[in-house]
Amino acid sequence: MRNDPIKYFFIWPALFVVLAISIFPLIYSLTTSFMSFRLVPPSPPRFNGLDNYVSLLTNPRFWHVTVTTSIIAFTSVAIQYVIGFAVALALHAKVPGEKLFRVGFLLPMLIAPVAVALIARQIFNPTQGPLNQFMTFLGFPNLPFLTETHWAIGALITVEVWQWTPFIILMLLAGLATLPDDVYEAASLENASPWRQFWDITFPMMLPISAAVVFIRLIESYKIIDTVFVLTGGGPGISTETLTLFAYQEGFKKFNLGYTSALSFLFLIVITVIGVVYLAILKPYLAKHR
Amino acid sequence: MRKLLLGATAMAALSLASGAALACDPDYTGVTLTAASQTGPYIASALQSAGEEWAKKTCGKVNVVEFPWSELYPKIVTSLSSGEETFDVISFAPAWSPDFTDFLSEVPEAMRKGAAWDDIAPIYREQLMVWNGKTLSQTIDGDVHTYTYRIDLFEDPKEKEAFKAKYGYDLAVPQDWKQYLDIAEFFTRPDKGLWGTAEAYRRGGQQFWFFFSHAASYTNIPGQKGAMFFNPETMDAEINNPGWVRGLEEYVKSAKLAPPNALNFSFGEVNAAVAGGQVAQSIGWGDTGVIAADPKQSKISGNVGSAVLPGSNEIYDYKTKEWKKFDHIVKSPFMAFGGWQAAVPASSKNQEAAWNYIEFLSSPEVSGKAAITGGTGVNPYRISHTTNLDLWSKLFSPREAKEYLGAQADSLAAENVVLDMRLPGYFSYTEVVEIELSKALAGEESAQEALDNVAKEWNRLTDEFGRDKQLAAYRAAMGLPAK
Repeated sequence: MRNDPIKYFFIWPALFVVLAISIFPLIYSLTTSFMSFRLVPPSPPRFNGLDNYVSLLTNPRFWHVTVTTSIIAFTSVAIQYVIGFAVALALHAKVPGEKLFRVGFLLPMLIAPVAVALIARQIFNPTQGPLNQFMTFLGFPNLPFLTETHWAIGALITVEVWQWTPFIILMLLAGLATLPDDVYEAASLENASPWRQFWDITFPMMLPISAAVVFIRLIESYKIIDTVFVLTGGGPGISTETLTLFAYQEGFKKFNLGYTSALSFLFLIVITVIGVVYLAILKPYLAKHR
Repeated sequence: MRKLLLGATAMAALSLASGAALACDPDYTGVTLTAASQTGPYIASALQSAGEEWAKKTCGKVNVVEFPWSELYPKIVTSLSSGEETFDVISFAPAWSPDFTDFLSEVPEAMRKGAAWDDIAPIYREQLMVWNGKTLSQTIDGDVHTYTYRIDLFEDPKEKEAFKAKYGYDLAVPQDWKQYLDIAEFFTRPDKGLWGTAEAYRRGGQQFWFFFSHAASYTNIPGQKGAMFFNPETMDAEINNPGWVRGLEEYVKSAKLAPPNALNFSFGEVNAAVAGGQVAQSIGWGDTGVIAADPKQSKISGNVGSAVLPGSNEIYDYKTKEWKKFDHIVKSPFMAFGGWQAAVPASSKNQEAAWNYIEFLSSPEVSGKAAITGGTGVNPYRISHTTNLDLWSKLFSPREAKEYLGAQADSLAAENVVLDMRLPGYFSYTEVVEIELSKALAGEESAQEALDNVAKEWNRLTDEFGRDKQLAAYRAAMGLPAK
């Protein structure tokens, strides 16, 4: 590479744009997280060190919402993966009407989460919703889908699964399409059962893409806000409140900017820790099947 | 010929000039006002349509800038505190007043006299628009909770007979909250798709204002200003005193007599339940009556009765720590939210034109039209809004109009009408109320436990924001002299 100073002329503008767009807001937010800074009631920014972080880490609400978010994220992603893999295998096997199913299964993913939540809210409506009407028809009592903690968390997980399983299907279908046919032909010659073929060939070979898909979905699930906001508002109490909804309440309702910035960075740390642990657990398996 | 042309030109110019003078009264040609509002249609549409009319009248122009609710406060407070001339007119929630008042111009003296001024309900004119003795804003929307019921059910002879047999008194508009709950219990018939009442119970769904309406009846001894939310001497939270606990216990009971999904009700769902004929009664803002009376939206149009909120003949005295008994029911209608305000920043260079626009916007004619136009979000706040039956005849039957306007007027004029708190950090205080209410409604906590938690957090917030500063703001908001 020539050591021509002109290259800086072309590199610096791009670097500046990247800094301005992505790095500066992060630095600004990080700085704010070390300050006592409220818009309501207005208080000028004042450096308070780690006070916001200490306050958050000693706040039971933070731990509660972290646990709630983790339950929703891990459970929904696990269910999404199992159902998604099963459907992807079925579609890959070229079942009759496969193209129609493929489009149909992908539709939920294309709808805005807030619209999905509004539809779900109507479905879970205890008096006018079709779900409870069906339950009543079968002789069951009306169930408090959105107003009792366990049912409400179940409803949120159901909506997440309904909307995002298509993403897993799409990715795993792409993965299945890349698997070599000769391995399966060899397995058939050895009279390996379909079950054996799945566990010994398909699943191990799909492990790298599965790891990536689950990782992406896990991170996305931790950001859940629209569905919770519309379906339960975080209630009853704070029992269905998630990390992002907590951040929204602090930032846009109470305008507590310093605290909210600290919360955002703790959120980042939580996600990073989960990601690192997840990849560390999977590393030996991924290395084995590379 | 030249003289003739000159003469004709002069005549034309003269007639144009006189025409312009007639059209522009007062003449604000070249003046463009920038008005800040929450995203429409509510309030913003009222500002816009009044702006168009004002432009025709004065030759000025109004540019309404809309912000989502969450951005409106920071936009206004930033522009005010920096002294920028960003806005000539601001519309804002009364709860934000304490943070704005230092930066606002006073309502011009000329505007504070005459029939149009006297026509504004005194609770607004003398209290909500006033801060530390200065009139700094103009109410452009009235907000008071009232009671709504189904006339067809309440006047059914069979229902009346059955009710009297069960409860020992006549079925009528409830005078106190016990009667309200009796009526709710009586009409709760899930097998017929009918329930006793509907209120907002959802966290984040304006729920706390409904609870405040219950508690207002038990915590406001007439003449004891500012007793409801905090001790006005020390700023200690009063929200866990026995009056509040009783209010919460009754609010929780009412939820059990509401439709099964009511714990997820915001005010919008309350209106839908009332208009859908699902409930026998409800409480809420004036929108409920308007929506329920509209045959296009309602199954009960023609049968919408209205009244002042129930009251109580027992009120808790925070000073003596005892219940005080009265020989009559004391009605304490609650001014939930309080209604949008309009004001002119002292930094505006168009103050005269801006106040002229606000005067026009809130004039009896313009505001009267807005009050009966769906989607403007404007509820009655002038005496003329509630006395001009002709104005409301498009919406209501004569009886409905009489009761609706009577309920609004009587609530605003009630001797013991209760103001909502206006305090820096209002939504920090109400957020914890929402969380604890939600737990109490779900049966996870008793009323006392929930309110003890709220009181603890309120006291912590007051200390964090500065007790003296908060006390000064609270006293000013409640019309008490500075300490």
